[in-house]
Amino acid sequence: MNLRAMKDLSPKKVSDFLFDHVVEVILIILILVMGSVSRTFNTTANWLNIFRNMSMKGLIAFGMTMVIISGQIDLSIGSTVAISGVIVARACRDLPGAMGISVTLACVIGIVLSFLLAIIMGALHGYAQHKFGMPAFIITLASQNLLYGLAGILSGGFPIANTFPQWFTVLGTGKIGGISGFPVPALILFIFFVIMLFIIRYTTTGRAMYAIGGNQESARLSGINVLKTKIFAFASVQVMCVIAGFINAAQVLSGSYSFGRGWEVDVISAVVIGGTSMAGGIGKMWGTMVGVIFLGVIINSMTILNVSTYAQYVVRAIFMSIAVLVATYQARKKA
Amino acid sequence: MPSLRCLDLTKDYPGTRALDGVSVSFESGQINALLGKNGSGKSTLVKCFAGAIQPTSGQMFLDGEQLDFSSPADANRRGIAIVYQEMSLVPSLSVTENIFLGRMPMKRGMVDWRSATAQARELLARMNADIDPNQLVSRLSMWQCQVVEITKAMSHSPSVLILDEPTSALASGEVERVFEVLRALRRQNVIIIYISHKLHEIPEIADTVAVLRDGRLVGHEKMKNLNNQDILHMMFGEMTHKTRPDDVKPGEDIVLSVRGLSRKGKFEDISFDLRSSEVLGIAGMLGSGRTELLKSLFGADPYDSGQIFVKSRPARRRPSPISMKKMGLGLTPEDRKKEGLILIHSIRDNLCYASIDQARRGWLENKKQRAALADSQVEQLHIKVASMRNTVNSLSGGNQQKVVVGNWLNTKPAIMLYDEPSRGIDVAAKQQIFEIMWEQARQGISTIFVSSELEELLETCHRILIMRQGRMIGEVDPQATDVKTLYALCMGGEA
Repeated sequence: MNLRAMKDLSPKKVSDFLFDHVVEVILIILILVMGSVSRTFNTTANWLNIFRNMSMKGLIAFGMTMVIISGQIDLSIGSTVAISGVIVARACRDLPGAMGISVTLACVIGIVLSFLLAIIMGALHGYAQHKFGMPAFIITLASQNLLYGLAGILSGGFPIANTFPQWFTVLGTGKIGGISGFPVPALILFIFFVIMLFIIRYTTTGRAMYAIGGNQESARLSGINVLKTKIFAFASVQVMCVIAGFINAAQVLSGSYSFGRGWEVDVISAVVIGGTSMAGGIGKMWGTMVGVIFLGVIINSMTILNVSTYAQYVVRAIFMSIAVLVATYQARKKA
Repeated sequence: MPSLRCLDLTKDYPGTRALDGVSVSFESGQINALLGKNGSGKSTLVKCFAGAIQPTSGQMFLDGEQLDFSSPADANRRGIAIVYQEMSLVPSLSVTENIFLGRMPMKRGMVDWRSATAQARELLARMNADIDPNQLVSRLSMWQCQVVEITKAMSHSPSVLILDEPTSALASGEVERVFEVLRALRRQNVIIIYISHKLHEIPEIADTVAVLRDGRLVGHEKMKNLNNQDILHMMFGEMTHKTRPDDVKPGEDIVLSVRGLSRKGKFEDISFDLRSSEVLGIAGMLGSGRTELLKSLFGADPYDSGQIFVKSRPARRRPSPISMKKMGLGLTPEDRKKEGLILIHSIRDNLCYASIDQARRGWLENKKQRAALADSQVEQLHIKVASMRNTVNSLSGGNQQKVVVGNWLNTKPAIMLYDEPSRGIDVAAKQQIFEIMWEQARQGISTIFVSSELEELLETCHRILIMRQGRMIGEVDPQATDVKTLYALCMGGEA
């Protein structure tokens, strides 16, 4: 709210503002309640922990926001997380011996290959969806299986452990400013938040995403390049998955086909809690950040309160339903 | 004899009187044609009978009993059935299921298929229609779908059956099949009201003809006492059309030439030239191929053969809206809500989508330039907006149409294609759209204007091309033509 809006604070305006930001309001209440219940909750260490824990799903959620705003969906994300870890781990293990190169160079090759794969998958998803009119839901579900299978084949069905060079593990476990410093994954999360926010708000490609999600035919007849825009969105989420895959692999010091399974649930939840419409055309990167923090706070709170893992799922389901219900109600009221 | 009668029926809308003291009576055992050009009030009259709207004043009677409907369900219960132009069948279900949709005969809590099929077969036989009740609707031809629609309506044993342009989507060979069904219906005790645009069908099928013009009943006669000339005269009256301002003159240079353009099943061998500053009309009825031609010209749909030249440069073999936009074309599509606008987005955004590549700095949007472009159109086109941030959905039809036009004018086009720009907007807004065309023409922009409202074309255009069944059958000079002649040319009946 800017200063001029502050001057004429009528009750109506305040209630409108609160209604528009109801997810933020719920989040703040949750934080206040947790702060009073637990002494450890509102500490810098715990907050850094929350961001570090949410960094991987958060990154993917930013990419997913672009895909959903464009009126599409990507369910293959978990498998991309897995395969990118496996590719780098495998490269680091086998390439030095086979090609006589250093582990560092092998690792870089693995990283480049992973990014290439991400871009190819994104292009494939965008092309198949647009040219053949196949539902993104089905295409990316097929990719999920494909990449999962490939990750399994590449890794031989077992985690490939302890192959990474030291500098690679910094991505997952590194901290800036000593042992209690700022976690590198959280830093990556914030950097990409700014980049993705910038793309969606200030570039013509960002504008085109809203257009094709809002009404693809109108966008097409306005001479907007629908195919290019879709490929950009699909490739963005895949690239985010690869980065998340690196962080994940670096944290557990191995690559495995089983990483990332089921992540699409939390990722899509965060996007939708943040107010992005599943129908496309409406959404905000900032909202997704709020959704990510929301999920992180709930998971963290329950761990602090010692709620059992299974009960955690039940509570998360309830909170997610409430948040989505509110978001849907808002959208309907505005329409 | 059962009859449906209305007495002094009037319907007012803000600013217009759609029906003005109409008194007319329709009887059973015959097919009563209801005619009138667009906006004559015929659909308003029918909607009153069907309970979809309530008349401002006047009365309606069925068999001498006064009718007072507050909803379409009321009218339905009273035995008034209406078959609309748009098909309401579910393609993935069988004919039987469609006829009894929501009221399948049941036996012991389960659908009684045997009895349902038998009843459907019996109903179809009474229609004189050879359609298998077990067939899926998606496998039926257009005329069969139309007959199933009519059968579905007749399965309620209505006393009144209103048919809203039942042949508009049919090919000429199929029309006769539907007529056979209608003739069979004539022998049953039902009052049939038949609305049509297709003048040449009327003598074949109608027994009486009622004509509305400007909300008034101008005639109700037996068909045998009428000829085509009489009907045309009743529909259009003695009217002179307004003309465009004199200072809007076509230039010399040819900006667009189309040579032998064909798209299978849509249009064939279309050739014409468009000059700078020219307003060129294309007249044709629904299904004549005019919308399809415009879409192919703009690269929105493909074409099979032929060539398009813009300022003597050949267009790409497979043009797209992107490539045609670069060559200086713009299109305001027929359905502005589904194809022209993004309803959930703001007015400003909707004014700047086509010009997205003009208001940029490299990768970035030039927000200042965007805002300036949007503002300039709001001013130039007199778009009434409370705030540029409001969704375009909140605007009236006329203002929405102006947003679609403004979106394209922001690309600084050389040629604008307008597909039915005046559909569903009020008279004042229509006039403003024409003013915009002329103003753009003064600045050298050429216009192709497609409309089924022939008076509009006569009023605005320098030249009018006529399309019928996918072919360009002629060209007329609006100064030397009246609307009756043009109508007859479009319909293919003799004037």
